[in-house]
Amino acid sequence: MRSLWLVFSLAGYIFAGGIAAQTTPKARVARIEPKALSVHPFTGQRGATFVMAVRGNGLREATGVFLDDSPLKLTIEGTEAEPPSESTAKSKVPFDLVRLRVETAPDVAPGRYLFRLVTPHGVSNALPLHITEYPIASEPKGAHETPEAAVAVDKFPVVFNGGIFRRGESDYYAFHAAAGQMVTFEAISGLPSIGGPGGNARGFDPSLSVYEPSGSWFDPKRLNRIAFNDEPLWVSGRLTDAHLVHKFEKTGRYLLRVEAFSGQGGPDYSYHLKILPGIAPQDVEPAAGDWNERGFQRRLSADRLNELAARGGKPRNKKSVETYRAAAVPAAEAGAFKLPGTLEGSLGQPGEAHRARFQLDGPQDIAIEVETPATAPPLFNPVVRLLDTAGQEVATNVFVGVGDCSGEMSKSLQAKTIIPLRDAGGYTVEIRDTTSDLAEPGFRYRVQVRPQIPHVGQISIDVDHVNLVPGDAQMVRVIFDREEDYRGAIAVTAESLPPGVQASAGADFEPDKDPPRFPGKRERYTARTERTVVVFTADADAAPTAHPWIARLAVRPIVDGKPGEILETKQIPMMVVAKP
Amino acid sequence: MRSFFALLLVSGAAWADPRLVSLKTVPAEATLTGAGATQQFLAIATYTDGSERDVTVESEWKVSDPALAAIAGPARLAAIADGSLTFTAAITGKRAHSAVRIQNSHTARPFNFSRDIGAILTKRGCNGAACHGGVKGAGGLKLSANALYPKDDYEWIVKGGEYQVLTNEVKGDRIPRVNLERPEKSLLLLKPTMMTPHGGGERFEKDSEDYRTILEWVKSGAPYGIEAGANEPVLTSLEVYPPVAVMPVGGARRLLVTARFSDSHTEDFTHQVLYATNNADVATVSADGVAGAKRLGETAILIRAAGQVASAGVGVIGPPIPNYPDVPRWNLIDEPVFSKLEKFRIIPSEVSGDNEFLRRVCLDLTGTPPPPERARQFAASKDPRKREKVVDALIASPEFVDYWTFRFSDIFRVAIFANGLTPKWSQKYWEWIRWSIETNRPYDEIARERLSAQGYGPASRHFLPYNQIGPPADVMAEEVRVFFGRRLDCAQCHNHPYENWSQDQFWGMAAFFSRLFKMGTVVFDHPTNMELGSKDVNGKIELVHPRTKAAVRPALLDGSRFNPIADSNPRKELARWMTSHPYFAEAAVNRIWGQFFGRGIVDPVDDFRSTNPATHPELLAALAKDFRDSGYDLRHLMKTIAMSRTYQLTNRANATNREDLTNYSRSLPRPLDAEVLLDAVVAVTGVPETFATAVTEGSAVGQAPAGTRAINLKDPDMYFSRFLELYGRPNRGAIPERGDKPNLGQALHMLAGASYVDRLSAKDSRLARLLESGASDAKIIEEFYLAALGRVPAQEETLELQRILAKRGDREAGLREFAWALISSREFAENH
Repeated sequence: MRSLWLVFSLAGYIFAGGIAAQTTPKARVARIEPKALSVHPFTGQRGATFVMAVRGNGLREATGVFLDDSPLKLTIEGTEAEPPSESTAKSKVPFDLVRLRVETAPDVAPGRYLFRLVTPHGVSNALPLHITEYPIASEPKGAHETPEAAVAVDKFPVVFNGGIFRRGESDYYAFHAAAGQMVTFEAISGLPSIGGPGGNARGFDPSLSVYEPSGSWFDPKRLNRIAFNDEPLWVSGRLTDAHLVHKFEKTGRYLLRVEAFSGQGGPDYSYHLKILPGIAPQDVEPAAGDWNERGFQRRLSADRLNELAARGGKPRNKKSVETYRAAAVPAAEAGAFKLPGTLEGSLGQPGEAHRARFQLDGPQDIAIEVETPATAPPLFNPVVRLLDTAGQEVATNVFVGVGDCSGEMSKSLQAKTIIPLRDAGGYTVEIRDTTSDLAEPGFRYRVQVRPQIPHVGQISIDVDHVNLVPGDAQMVRVIFDREEDYRGAIAVTAESLPPGVQASAGADFEPDKDPPRFPGKRERYTARTERTVVVFTADADAAPTAHPWIARLAVRPIVDGKPGEILETKQIPMMVVAKP
Repeated sequence: MRSFFALLLVSGAAWADPRLVSLKTVPAEATLTGAGATQQFLAIATYTDGSERDVTVESEWKVSDPALAAIAGPARLAAIADGSLTFTAAITGKRAHSAVRIQNSHTARPFNFSRDIGAILTKRGCNGAACHGGVKGAGGLKLSANALYPKDDYEWIVKGGEYQVLTNEVKGDRIPRVNLERPEKSLLLLKPTMMTPHGGGERFEKDSEDYRTILEWVKSGAPYGIEAGANEPVLTSLEVYPPVAVMPVGGARRLLVTARFSDSHTEDFTHQVLYATNNADVATVSADGVAGAKRLGETAILIRAAGQVASAGVGVIGPPIPNYPDVPRWNLIDEPVFSKLEKFRIIPSEVSGDNEFLRRVCLDLTGTPPPPERARQFAASKDPRKREKVVDALIASPEFVDYWTFRFSDIFRVAIFANGLTPKWSQKYWEWIRWSIETNRPYDEIARERLSAQGYGPASRHFLPYNQIGPPADVMAEEVRVFFGRRLDCAQCHNHPYENWSQDQFWGMAAFFSRLFKMGTVVFDHPTNMELGSKDVNGKIELVHPRTKAAVRPALLDGSRFNPIADSNPRKELARWMTSHPYFAEAAVNRIWGQFFGRGIVDPVDDFRSTNPATHPELLAALAKDFRDSGYDLRHLMKTIAMSRTYQLTNRANATNREDLTNYSRSLPRPLDAEVLLDAVVAVTGVPETFATAVTEGSAVGQAPAGTRAINLKDPDMYFSRFLELYGRPNRGAIPERGDKPNLGQALHMLAGASYVDRLSAKDSRLARLLESGASDAKIIEEFYLAALGRVPAQEETLELQRILAKRGDREAGLREFAWALISSREFAENH
């Protein structure tokens, strides 16, 4: 079991003396699954000690904070019931507030740290706590919806902890900038929207606007917008946090406005606003390291064949993939490359098509993978076609299908296409943008053409944490993709379970789905997805756990009767909780 | 000044008995070619008061050589033999001559179905939209509107059968409408003469000239005759004299219609066309082209010949005005406007006062009434260039950007409803419009980008209603309406019944959008060298003509075909052609003009058609040219309009222009649009509006930031407003047409709605602040007048209001009622 920081704070009980009586088992009426909705503030400076409040359900009796391998110290200062407000009055579940003291060492690395609350009802979901190297300030109490009431920003870099705690609220920040000065503004939501970790359509999607108080003929105090940012997409995988870099033309006083898209607001609408001199990149959470088989921005490395072989339970003894350049020339003049090969280039001119040729000596099942290292779809949409010597299209990464609902033909670009090539001979790979009008240096592509290697693709385990009442069971689904005709098995092992908890193989009901009416060649563009089920069962006499255990699920391929490397592990905080 | 006009007008002696000064004949020269050729002449007299009258009927006409030509009707000459002669008109001692040459008088013109039979069908109204020229035809017979497609007409008449709208298949048995064995029993003769029952009534008499023509044609075997084209000249246009007939009530004027052919020769068509008036209350027109004036006003006479439509304006004018004032012209707008007014005997109103001008120009350029302090400053300024300076200041203001972003968001339809399922796209599209206005992008550039947008760019978002590409026909029709001001929609299913737009033209244009497709959220034009489908899924990306079922290739409205190039965007070519076509600039200036005057030079602003002519064609042409020359600069165009004397005229009518609603002789009041009105209420009361999202349940519930103006709402679907719905905010599901009709809901809202009542009693309202400052009644009255109406109250208004307030007793309640009355008044709710 990996080390973990588990801090219990009896102070919480002491502080909330009145609450203590409610925490006796007799007083409990019904078990409420602990759910942490938001935390405010959620950002602190390293080396500092500060207090933050977690809002959620079933948290009143929180006894401790669970941190996974974190150099932070969090203790409960107190818990209380949130008074009903306009926005929460209709809720059937009461809301609780848990105040946490956060102590950070000066050498803590900036970044996001996940924490959970522990209650007698179980462990909660995780919330992120951001640690930054920059000075922290808090949005002062009161409204800051007018320039006169703007929060003064005396210097930057600085990170403000703020909130849009009611609908229609917006916060102004006033600052000075010099002519020619470049400043980066970034608003990060504490309630992730689509694209963020755990995000959904209900999240807080912040937007930023910079104003100058230059007035107008009508109103000498009018604020005039000079810059604006709100990402134009609600698409899975894209952050909705706002990032704005602006170069100021004149020296003077400016105002920054933070608001939620279309004016939402509420007690969970917490944000941090980062103001930094110069150009700073967007603060994007590092990729979790999960295997991403079909995303345009995964890295197609020279060692790709070995990576795939390992996922197929085979030894890593494949050769490296060579890199070549395709060029904007007719097919007959296109340069040659050998399989496996990676084509690199950039579509700099509208309507430009890059080509390269390869020779196939005999039938071979190949895979074509596309990576967009810089600009990604929907801004750069690379169409890759495989043409035979007569110029006829043999395959493409455009998946043509017919929508289940509309019956309309639909097309989508795919980052991976597999094709069984049966004819030996010359083939041309052609790469161009979907549009005929758009091009820019950022339209960079990497196209890897290689033999197919059966392997296990993406794996997902659909659980965040498990709270088990003695005698109960909970299913966890392990969903995995069979790529490139992988016919082996997978093995899922469960380790480090709490005493009295068993893991067993299971199967759940999966309703039949009507096949798409005109599916097209789905097998070229989509993996075969299967799932298996692990059932966690707490014995009827299992003792409640005082703290979460980190159970572990590991997934590995089984080929020819031999297990391969572990492909995926999932650490699952797990508790056995007393019956209500 | 007004009393001076009144004096002039009541002084009957001033225009009594104008004397005839000169006489002219029209045409002054004529050539009659071929057997049976005729020519209608007019005699036009000019009088001492400068007026012209048609004296064709009253004049005595003589032919210099009766062996060459005969008089076939009033002032109508018929050729007999080749030669030259003089045709003379005489009246009260004045004479005028026309030189006439007759040639080939014994050579009959070869028969041509379109020219000879199509002309009769047109002139007699048989192929009108309400009869056989309608979508499905009538009584089983379908004719092309205006004989636009003579070959089709010939087939339906000679071969028979019933037309079907969506297919070329013939319905029912084919029974010819001509009877070659017994020609006089042809349905084509029996029906229009009512010898058998005919739903369309009698169109011509038995033995009339038209009857005989048709009968002879059937007797000769009903041939199609020669085809207009390479060897046979084609009728290309109709010209009408006078283009605008001006006459007093009770007056009459004959129209002379000249047909121009493709070989440049002309013929008199006065008696071969169908005349119709657009407004019979103003002017009537007889079957042979004599317009009669009924009451003061202006209308158009529509003239139809086979395949062609033209119109003539008719102005029914008041009594002559001696010593018509010399009205200064300030810029290119004023000359065509004031010249026409003089011709129509209308004296333009005086130039507006400073307060009137300022409120109007502020509302028109920025949708924002002037603040009281600015109104005071403007009125007090002695700067002779203050109007130009304020126009410049307004055009450079951020409120200008706000307002014209709002206006173009209407025209370009920024809406969640219409632009897909995500409001993010609407916002992106809105930001693109705002940026275009803010940076004053040339309008042709904006249009090109919108028309040809690809990828995930903001301008491409409007191609994705419901996240699906709209049908090519709908997409094209909208673009043509927005950028050409023309409505082609009717031609989608059939040839346009009122215009010369054919179904083929419609689908040719639609084909430019036929390869428009989407990949996820990305808009692109499917390459021509690739099928829509693949080896996996069948699919063809070709646009099929609904009648012929043939694949349609892109073709411009002018008929020129376009061969798409592989891997190119065909809409780029369309956009280039559209933005360089004269229609583009005309439609743009007309749309903007409509915003400033409440009506377009062509009105509705996006309904250009030959049957809806411009009131001021020269003005339209001049503005369009200036717009082109300026590089399609919208701000330049708006400044030109705002700096014209025409725009700056007062709304106060004089005795000559009280009835005038179309000639810009004064400023006409226009209701403020819902958003502008609400913002004005907010500005006057000093209490901001709260805009909550239309979604009322769940976490998507939001609210626009405090102080957001209605014109700055990015999307009408996103924020609900009872006020805005009541006052006609459109949802932009289609190109908005804002109504200006008041309704009961508005009245009730004024009486009891929060927008009016609650605001006036709000703690931090303008009234509350004034009361707290200890302002006097007079001061409060003046402040509200300036804020609401842009003017100070007249002394009698102040005194009367003070009297009412004193009588009311409760001062605060009385002032609230006064403020309510002010913002409920028409003067406030209109721009004038």
